[in-house]
Amino acid sequence: MTDQTIRSTLDASARKAVDVDLAGLADIHATSGPDELKRRIADRLAITPRDGSAPHYMLTDAGGAVLAGDIRRWPELDPSVSESGTITVGEGTSAYARATQLAPDLRLLVARETADNGALRQHVAIVFLGGGALFVLLVGALGKLAAGRLHWRIQRINDAFRESDDDRLIAMRPRGRSDEIDELTGHSAAALVRQKRLVEAYRDTSDQIAHEIRTPLMHLDGRLTKALAADPGEAVATRLLEGRADIKRLVAMLESLLDIAASKARQGDRHGLKRFDLSEMATRICELYADSAEESGHLFTWDIAPGIRFDGEEMQLTQLVTNLLDNAFKYVPSGGSVHLSLAAGPVLTVADDGPGIGEADREKVFRRFYRSPGDAAGSPGSGLGLALAKAIAERHDLSIAVAPSERSATFVVRAREA
Amino acid sequence: METLKILYVEDDQRAASEVQEMAAGRGDIVVWENSGSGGLLRAGMEKFDVIILDRMLGDLDGLTILKRLRESGVGTPVLMLSALGRTTDRAEGLDAGADDYLAKPFEAQELLARLRALHRRAVGREHSAVILYGAFECHVKARTAFRDNRHLSLSPREFELFRYFMENAGEVVTREMLLQDVWNMSFDPQTNVVDVNVGRMRRKLEDGFKSPALETIWGSGYRLLDGR
Repeated sequence: MTDQTIRSTLDASARKAVDVDLAGLADIHATSGPDELKRRIADRLAITPRDGSAPHYMLTDAGGAVLAGDIRRWPELDPSVSESGTITVGEGTSAYARATQLAPDLRLLVARETADNGALRQHVAIVFLGGGALFVLLVGALGKLAAGRLHWRIQRINDAFRESDDDRLIAMRPRGRSDEIDELTGHSAAALVRQKRLVEAYRDTSDQIAHEIRTPLMHLDGRLTKALAADPGEAVATRLLEGRADIKRLVAMLESLLDIAASKARQGDRHGLKRFDLSEMATRICELYADSAEESGHLFTWDIAPGIRFDGEEMQLTQLVTNLLDNAFKYVPSGGSVHLSLAAGPVLTVADDGPGIGEADREKVFRRFYRSPGDAAGSPGSGLGLALAKAIAERHDLSIAVAPSERSATFVVRAREA
Repeated sequence: METLKILYVEDDQRAASEVQEMAAGRGDIVVWENSGSGGLLRAGMEKFDVIILDRMLGDLDGLTILKRLRESGVGTPVLMLSALGRTTDRAEGLDAGADDYLAKPFEAQELLARLRALHRRAVGREHSAVILYGAFECHVKARTAFRDNRHLSLSPREFELFRYFMENAGEVVTREMLLQDVWNMSFDPQTNVVDVNVGRMRRKLEDGFKSPALETIWGSGYRLLDGR
């Protein structure tokens, strides 16, 4: 495009030069006569212009004899109408020319070279390329600087989301000048502060509930223990022991509820997760359950791939696995089988050949205090085991579901799909 | 049995008197402080075998007291006591430098057994190669067990359980203690895994002997007898 612009600019300037020259020469002829005109043409031809747009002339009589100039052959331009056009001069050089009739027996052709602008174009190209390169470098450097700054500002937001300590949150407060990113930073800081306050408020409340309920329960348990120590006779002792068992159940239920709430509140929060050997943990639990399974007449088998490491709270995941096993042993009648498998991923499966879970109940079993219709009213358990298992799974970015099957139940815990 | 001098920092007077009463029965001395600052002051002035710190006190919280104690060079073993029993609270207490953690409601017997275990660890007596108690012998390194010089054929898991009973010989060992210390669980599963595992070990300890090896403390746990 630049080349095209240069070309048309040069052509226009050649046309203008030809027209001005022609007018000047016509003027000289009119005032000083043909001889002066010839002299002037010779003078002009003697000077080689610097810009390469050399002039060419031809002055002929009516018969076509050349009176002056360096063009030897009259081109196809009609002097009577002052026709102009592009002609070829010398050895194939293109030129813009205009012819005119000065007198009935005298005609003049003025031409000026136009094509040889290569040097100029090269020059312009160098200027353009050099300038362009410099410009690109400058823009690149500025871009890098801006990107670096942007990266730093966004990094700051990301850091605060990862670890929202007070220093980071204070540093995120917008100062004076503000653009979209400052605004985003401000909103992020406000959201994080709010989230922190909510978690703190939740913690305070649940701590208070725990404290206020556990303390009287402990006193009650203390009274029952004292009564038991006083040798009350078998019938009373049985009642007292039942009372103590009830207290334990209440505390366990309270703990489960608080654990569910805490796990839900910390869903997606990676703080406090530590890498540990999931295979080792699962093996330990299976070994613990082996004897009681045998005692209760269940066939309990496991298949654990070794060395599976996972980022999590070990105690919570221990609870997840034991809750699934407790659930299986509770519903599978004696003589049935329970199988636990752990594969890389991690994918943990607890499968049994018990009565299974109807399609309508597959989601509901994870609800708090949900009891399936076939569940005996007096069966033990708080109805929180699977709800807690789900909350723990989700806190660790794992999914938990009952796999569809006609008979038997298969619980699958695996990494959640992004 | 060795008696312990215990500092108990607790703002619940009833809990404190229950523990004091139980401890007195065994000859232990419990010095009770009802505030965090009082406890901190006392721990700095007197020497105790073990310290019980309640996690939630009116003035200072247990974690802060523990931090200050450790900063000022008091290395006495600390058992953190708390009405917050969630697994994360437990981890927080232990991370802060507590040597043990017990959730309320607890049994005074378990508390005292834990204190004794803590004290034993602190004075460096828990890792002896052979633990002897009554007719029982536990060879820790060789992982073998004997009763009246007769070898007891225990599985590796049963040996771990036996060793724990030997380390706490004569004390009540609660289900919670076994779950936490032997199987690393801070909660009680619904399946009766503890009773079954203890029952199996018990049968091996008693097979061919006339006297019982374990006493069941109803509603709490077990106690290892001397086997004579």
